[in-house]
Amino acid sequence: MKKIMAFALALVMAMSMAACAKPAEAPVAPVEEAPVAPAEEAPVAPAEEAPAAPAVSATVQKLYDEFDAAMAEQLGAMPESFAELKVGAVVISLTNPFWANMKDCYEAAGAEMGVAIDVQTGTTEGDTASQLDVLMTMADMDYDVIIVSPIDGTNLIPGIVKCNENGVKVINLGPGVDTAALEEAGGHLDAKITVDFAEQGETCANDMIARLPEGGQVAIISGLAGAGQSEGRTAGAKEVLEAAEGFELVAVQNCDWDATLAYDAAKALITEYPELKGVFCCNDTMALAVKEAMAAEGKEGVLIYGVDLTDDARAAISEGTMTGSMSYSSQRYTKAALQMAVMLNEGHVFESFVYLPLTLVHVDNVNDMEGWK
Amino acid sequence: MSSFKRWCVKQSTALLLILVCLLMMAFLSVETRSFFSVKNVVNILEANSYRLILAVGMMCAIASGAIDLSMGSILSFSAICMAKAMKAEWSVAGSIMLSLALGMLMGAVNGSVIHLTRINAFIITLATSMLYRGLSLIATQGIPITKLPQLFREIGCGDIFGMESGVTMAIVITVLLIPLFYHTKWGSYVMSLGGNPEALKRSGVPIGLYRVSVFVLTGLLSAVAGIIVTARLNSAEANAGLSMEMDAICAVVMGGTAMRGGSGSLLGTVVAVFLMGLIRNGLTIMSVSSYYQQFITGAMMLCAVIIAEMRERRTRIG
Repeated sequence: MKKIMAFALALVMAMSMAACAKPAEAPVAPVEEAPVAPAEEAPVAPAEEAPAAPAVSATVQKLYDEFDAAMAEQLGAMPESFAELKVGAVVISLTNPFWANMKDCYEAAGAEMGVAIDVQTGTTEGDTASQLDVLMTMADMDYDVIIVSPIDGTNLIPGIVKCNENGVKVINLGPGVDTAALEEAGGHLDAKITVDFAEQGETCANDMIARLPEGGQVAIISGLAGAGQSEGRTAGAKEVLEAAEGFELVAVQNCDWDATLAYDAAKALITEYPELKGVFCCNDTMALAVKEAMAAEGKEGVLIYGVDLTDDARAAISEGTMTGSMSYSSQRYTKAALQMAVMLNEGHVFESFVYLPLTLVHVDNVNDMEGWK
Repeated sequence: MSSFKRWCVKQSTALLLILVCLLMMAFLSVETRSFFSVKNVVNILEANSYRLILAVGMMCAIASGAIDLSMGSILSFSAICMAKAMKAEWSVAGSIMLSLALGMLMGAVNGSVIHLTRINAFIITLATSMLYRGLSLIATQGIPITKLPQLFREIGCGDIFGMESGVTMAIVITVLLIPLFYHTKWGSYVMSLGGNPEALKRSGVPIGLYRVSVFVLTGLLSAVAGIIVTARLNSAEANAGLSMEMDAICAVVMGGTAMRGGSGSLLGTVVAVFLMGLIRNGLTIMSVSSYYQQFITGAMMLCAVIIAEMRERRTRIG
C-alpha cells in the first residue's frame, strides 16, 4: 500500500512539474473537466475581436490618433533599432478580466515590436505577499526591464529595491508605488506610466451630474480600501458629487472588488434609499453586479458607472442597462510601456510621469466604439 | 431538570446569539429607516442563503472531527463547469446535474484521500482547495462566463414566496438536516467519528464510508451554493466563493460547535449566519466601512468561543 502511494505521489509530482515546464499544453488533464469540452469556449472575448486591425470605426481611429499624438509628445519617438532585450511584467491578477486582457495586450505588443515579454502575477487579487514573491524571483532572473503594477502602494517595494540593486530597470504601470516609502527603503523607479485615477472618478461623476438635471441621491461602491485605484477613483467621484448642487452622496461602501459583496450592498442600498438615482462603481465587475441587483429589484433608470470597459460592461452599455465605463486603450497602454522599456534599455532617462489619455464610453457613444481595445 | 431546561443549557450559545441578534435589530431599527422593512429582511435572507448552505455543510464536517477548506473552490469549479455546459448547449437541468455530480465527486476525492492517507483534513482540503481553484482558473483563463439562460436564472434566483429561490433551498436543506443529523444512524456515526473514531471502528462500523459521505455532502452543498451565487450574478467566475469557507467556519464556531468535533449545533450555526448577515447589512445601510465589520465579527467570534469553552469546562467538572 505504502509503495503504491509513494509511486502515485511521485507520478503526480512529476506530472505537475511537466505541466509547469510547458504551460502551453493543457496541464494535468483534470478528470472533472472532461465532459465540458473547454477548448470550444475559453477565450470568449478575444475570439470576437481577434482580427484587431481591420474593424476600427472612425471615432476609434480618431481616439487612437489623439492617443498616439499625446504619447509621442510625452515619450518621444521610438528608436529605429535597438538592442535585444527581455522584459518582465508583474500584473495584479489574472482572475480579473481587465488584467487578463492586459496580459494578452502585453504579449501582442511584444510580438509586434520584437521584444520578449513574460507576464506574471500573484495568486489572487488581494494576495500582496505572493505578488512580491513573484517580483523577488524575477529580480534575480535575466530580465533587462520589469514593468510592475502593484496591488497596493507598498507591497512590491522590497522587490523594486532588489531590482535596483541587480541593475534591472523598473517601470511602474497603473496603480502607483508609494514613492516616498520607496525612497526611504533606498529604491527608485526608472519610469512611470499611469492613468489619473481621480480623473476617472471625476469624469464619471460629472457625466452622472449632467444626466441628472434634478439632482438626487447617489452612492459610490469602492474596491479594496487602501488600493490606489480604488482610493483615487473614490476620492475623485466623491469630491465632484459632494460639491454638486442638489446631490446627496448617501453611501461610500467598500466591496473589495467582489461581485457578490457589491450585489448585496446594492440591494441593501436601494432598500434604504429607494430614490437612489446613480451609482459609481470603482470597476466593471462590481458595476455589473450592481446592474444585476437593480434588475432583480425591478428598479429601472438608476445610472450605473464602472471603470475598465470589460466586454460584458460594453454589452451592458449597448443594452442601456449600464450607463458608462471609463476606458483607455489597453493595447496602446501596453505598447507605450514596452516602448518605454526599450528606451530605458537604450539609456533614455524619463524625467516625469507619463499619463494616459482617458475616454468615457457611455450609452451615447458606445456604438461608435467598434474595434476599441 | 426538565427537558426544556436541559435544552436551554445545551443551546446556551445559540440562545445568547439570538439575544445579540435581537439587540442588534433593535439598534438598527432605531438608527436606520429601512431596517425593519419586509424588503430589507428579505435582502438579509437572500444575501445569506448560500452562506447558510455552506455553513451547515461545514458544521457536519467539523462535527465529524474534520474540516473542509475547499468548499469555496468546489463552489467555483462546479459553477464554471455548469456554465460552460450551458454555453455548450447542454440543457439547464443537465448542466445543474453535472455541477451537483462534480461537487460530490470533488468531495469524494477529498474524503477518500483523507481516509486513505490518514493525513489531517485541514492539510488535504487546503491542498485540494488550491487544486480546484487552479482548475477554475485554467478553465476560464480568468474571464467570467456570463449571460446564462433565463431558465437557469429562474431556478437559481427566481421568485418563490416573494423571495429568491435560494432562501427556500437553504431552509429546505437545513430542515432536512435536522432529522438526518440528530435522528439517524448516519448522524450519530458522523458525530462519533469526531468524538471517538477508535470506538466506532472497533464496533465494526466502516468509518471510511462515513468519512467520505461527509465530504460528499459538503461537496454537494458547495455546488448548490454555487448555483445560487452564479444565478444571482448571472456570471460564473473563477474567484467566486473565495474565502467563503472561512465565513462558514466562523459561523459554525460562533454557533457553539467545538472544533474538536463530536457534537454540532445546527441551531447555533443558523443563528450565527443570520447574525453575521445582520452585521453586514446593518453596516452597509448605515454606510460604515467594511473594516468595522471584520473587527466586530472577530470580537463576537472570540466571545462566543470563550463562552462555549467555559461552559464546557463547567459541565465536565460539575
